[in-house]
Formats: sequence, structure tokens, C-alpha cells
Amino acid sequence: MKKILVIDDESIVRISCERTLAPEGYEVRVASGGREGLTFLEEETFSLVLLDLKMPDIDGIEVLNTIKAKWPQTKVVMITGYSTVDTAVQALRLGAFNFIEKPFTPDTLISAVKEIFDRMDQKPEDNTRG
Amino acid sequence: MKTNLRHPEKSIAAKLIIAIGLLMLVVSFIFWYAIRMKQEKDIMSLAQKYAVSFADFTKRSTRLSMLHFEPEEIQQTLENLSTPVGVNKVSIFDHQGRISYSSATQDVGKSVDKTTIACMGCHSDPEHSAQLIPSPQEWNVYKAKGGTSLKIVRPIPNEPSCSGAPCHQHSKEEKILGFVEADLSLALLDEALLKQGLALTAYVITFVLAVSLFLGIIIYKIVSKPVQVLVDGMGKVAGGDLNHSVPINSVDEMGILASTFNSMIGDLKAARDQREKWTHMLEEEIAKKTEEIRNTHANLMQTEKLASLGRMAAGVAHEINNPLTGVVTFSHLLKKRFPPESTEAEDLNVIIEQSERCSKIIKNLLTFARATPSDKGKVNINDILNRTIFMVKNQEKFHHIKFIEKLEDEQLVVFGDASQFQQIFLNMIINAADAMNGRGNITVRTRKISEDNNDFAEIEFTDEGSGISEKDMPKLFEPFFTTKPVGKGTGLGLSVSHGIVKHIGGHIKVKSTVGKGTSFFVRLPLSE
Repeated sequence: MKKILVIDDESIVRISCERTLAPEGYEVRVASGGREGLTFLEEETFSLVLLDLKMPDIDGIEVLNTIKAKWPQTKVVMITGYSTVDTAVQALRLGAFNFIEKPFTPDTLISAVKEIFDRMDQKPEDNTRG
Repeated sequence: MKTNLRHPEKSIAAKLIIAIGLLMLVVSFIFWYAIRMKQEKDIMSLAQKYAVSFADFTKRSTRLSMLHFEPEEIQQTLENLSTPVGVNKVSIFDHQGRISYSSATQDVGKSVDKTTIACMGCHSDPEHSAQLIPSPQEWNVYKAKGGTSLKIVRPIPNEPSCSGAPCHQHSKEEKILGFVEADLSLALLDEALLKQGLALTAYVITFVLAVSLFLGIIIYKIVSKPVQVLVDGMGKVAGGDLNHSVPINSVDEMGILASTFNSMIGDLKAARDQREKWTHMLEEEIAKKTEEIRNTHANLMQTEKLASLGRMAAGVAHEINNPLTGVVTFSHLLKKRFPPESTEAEDLNVIIEQSERCSKIIKNLLTFARATPSDKGKVNINDILNRTIFMVKNQEKFHHIKFIEKLEDEQLVVFGDASQFQQIFLNMIINAADAMNGRGNITVRTRKISEDNNDFAEIEFTDEGSGISEKDMPKLFEPFFTTKPVGKGTGLGLSVSHGIVKHIGGHIKVKSTVGKGTSFFVRLPLSE
């Protein structure tokens, strides 16, 4: 089962992701903040985390660092507003797989997620993206 | 100084003239007095000599009549002798003082006053006639009616022809037989003396006046006038007229004073000019600095205003992105439930399109807020311009617009993001076309310029449009400011362009004439 965790403080973004990805056959769980997300990650293993950059409790970059340290197998895609693209680039350097700009269409999200799972299927041993 | 001028008697000239005049008066008076005394003495001496000779002449005239003892003859001779002007009377009296003969016949037989010169001239005591004064006084001057008179007494000494005369009037033992007394008027001499005195006085007064006048003129010329000129000059200088100079007409102390004064004025003037120059320079410098500060302040205000607007826009945009994600996602999800050609699907397409439009506006806003990811490098401005113009030329909007390209031959290389530059140029061209309602010439010119020792690539976009009013000019670069019809312009084109250009150290200048057209000058720093 392809398990995806969505961490975003905006419920509409969480719901949008869930409603877009669930029909595509992914198991989606949502967390409303960095802390909650990390708790879920402790509970179960996710293949992919869709992570918002700007959150009130713990910053997206910090959550990314924790994930990279604790669960190196888990891929991370950053969700970012336009103004935080510079930070998103920084996130890529820190090990995020890709980033998606808000507002995104369902197609954009699906193709981005699909791309990641396709790659994982091809090279299951590849943990990081350069 | 001025007080003295109001009181001429206190001036140096007046003091000098008064002092010298007084001195001359005193000296002249002394001379006048001495001359007067000398004249009187000389005249008296002459009068005495004349009187002595007159008395002797009387003696000689009567001698023969005396020897022959002819009293009538003697009396007649005396009367004759007294006739000329100046002879008052002539008398002959004996040693006892009895007047024997006199031109004044009423005196004959009378005695002379023994206290007068007639006796006292030789005798110290009238009772003791034997006592003689060693040097007898023969004459006397006294005041009489009609003027001063000179009285002279001459003794008639005994001689052999007298004592031996047949009349036997006088004995041999008698030493003095009698006296001739002449009374002469000095009126004529007094008159001459008076006239001489008056003339002398007139001469002295004339002399004193002439010398005083001459001195006055000299002092006025060499002291008062130059001093007055100096005083006037100082007054003018004190009043602020430093161009005034005192004429130098002499080489004396006054001349030295005047030339010293002139050189002092020169120094003062030079100092004042220097001071004024400094003041002027200072004022200019202050004005320049004030202008610079004002400009800097205005720029700062503008930058700060745009920055805060940018921050606000970014915040708003960022917040809108989240709900927009929901709108887009759910529109798509909803659309899938309807057949593709259904009205519902069409309507949802409108929602999706409009959401995308919102998204675009937000992107522009965020570009304006300088959060654009950029792919910076060295770019050739002319190449980008050519590409942009080529791109728009084929669009319908530009079918009636002619592009006049005057591009600099030299390569203008700027460091930055090519797509951002293209966006700026596109904005400029679209604005130009809109200003001309899609008809006319757009001139695009590039050139290399120097500003404050920095090299810039200047890209000029000139249209023949309606121009920008002075009222709109300050708001030109503000986000959401637009003169285009609602829905046509976002009001972000120029503010986005401005943000990008500012970010890389350039600036945009505008020149516009209402009704004639507008020129935008985009200046980008040249890459080294």
C-alpha cells in the first residue's frame, strides 16, 4: 500500500490532497501541524510525506530534517506558496524530493506523486535525490 | 568727529586760527605800542629843538631893542613873533618873576607862578632861589584850551654889552638878566601823530586779518578739507559702502592717512568679499545637500512604501493561495462528475479559469515582492529585445503598430534573469500599445550611458500615445495603479518591472507630455 502523510496547517489543503489522492489508490493520512505529523510518523511508516513549509508550531524545514534523520526511506515533497520558493530550493538541498507550488491543480499533484512512486519502483535502493 | 563738524569753533582749524590770531594780536600790539612811543618821543624831541630855536630867535630879535632899551619895540617884536600858527604867546620876565613884556598884553606886569617850570625848572624851592638844580628842566608840556601846549623857558645871560649899555638897567654882577618864555601849541603835531597812529593801527589790523585769512585758507586746504573728505569716506564705509575710496591729492601726513585708509578699505572689502563668497558657497552647498537629502528621502519613502506594499501583497497572496488550492481542487473534482460537454462542466471551467487568473495575479504580486526564483546570468539586452519584439509583432494587438528599433551596436551585457527582463520589456511594449489604442509607432532604442561613474544599459520605449498626467506621475509605480479599463490591466506591470529593476541596482525614468507621448527609460547596470 502506498501510504502518504499530508502535513499542512490549512485544512482545505489537507482535504484537497486527500480528495485528490485517495481516488488514485493512495492511502492518505493528514496531520494539522509538524508535531502531529511527527507523532504519526512514529506510529506508522509512510512512503511519502507532503509537507507544508510554513506552519505555526514547527517549521517545515525542521520537520524535513527530522524525517531525513529518523526515516531516511521516506520521501518528502514540499508544498509551498510562491513567496517561499527560495526556501523550497533550500529544502531540496536538504533532501526533499521535489516541491509543489500552491495553488496546484489535482493533475499537478497526481503527476508529481506518481513520478515519485514510479522512481521508487524503478530504483527502490535510491533514498535520496541529489 | 561729527560733533566737531557741528561746532566749527571746536575744529582744529578754528583753534589754530584763534591761537595764531591771538598771538599776532599781542605781538602786533606790542610793536604798535613801541612804534607809537618812539614816534611820540621823536616828535617831542623835534618840538623841543624847534621851541629852543624859537626862544633863541626871540632873544636875538629883541636883543638890539634891549640894548637900546626900547620897550615899545620889544613889545612889538614879541607881538609879531606870536602871530604864526602854533605860537600861543611869547613873554619876557625878569629874575624876580615879573613879566616885563608879553605878546599877551594883559599879562604884562603880572608875576609868573613860581611853582611852574619858569622857576622850578632851575630852582628846587621858590623861596630859596639860590639853590639850583644841577640839570635844569627848560620845557614842559601841559594841556591847554585847543590842545596840548609846549612851554619853554630860556635864560637871558648877562654879557658885557648889556651891563655896559647906556641905559644901565643891569649891573655887571647879574648872571641872568631875565627869561624868554615861549608857549607853543602842539595841536598840529598831535594831529599828525594821531593820523600816523590811526594809519599804523589800520596797517596792523589789516596785517593780522590778512595773515589770519591766509592761514585759514591754508589750514582749510591742507587740514580741514582732507579731514572732511576722510570723515565722509569713513561715514560711507561705516554705512557699508566698501567701494568708496578717498582721493589722494598730497604726499603729506594727510596723504599717508588717506592711502592707509584706502588700503584698509581694500582689506575690509577683500575680507567681506571672501566672507560673502564663503557664505554663498555654503548656501549653495546647503541647498545642494538639502536637495540630495530631499531626493534620498523621497526615494527612501518610495522604496519603503513599495516594500511595505510588497510585504502586504505577499502576505495576502500567500494566504489566498491556500483557499485557492481548495477552489481549484474541488472544481476539478466536481467537474469529473459531469459529462464533459454539460453546462455544469462548462460553468466549472469558468471557475477554474478565473481561479487560474487569480493565481496569475498572485504570482505577479509576489514577483513584485521580489520572491521570484531567478535564473541569473549574463544576458544580452539587444537579444532579449529582439526576441520580445519578434514575439509580439505577430499578435493581433500589434498589427497596426510599427516598431522603430535603434539598438546600440555594442553588446550591452547585464547580469540578471533573462525571463524577468523579457517580462519588463513586454510590460513596456504592452503599455505603449495601450496608450496609443493599438495604432502608431513605438520607438525602442538602446544605448550605453554613464551615471555617477557607473555604466548603464539604457532601454528607451517611446510611444505616441496620450501621455501621463502630472497627477498620475507619482503613482505610476504603485501596485494596482492603472488607467486601463477594469479587467484589462492589473496595475502590477510597472510595479513588478520597477521591483525587478531596483533589485539589480537599476532604475526606471519617465518623461511624458500629455497628448504627445511617453518615454520610459529602463536603466540596468552593465555587467563588468
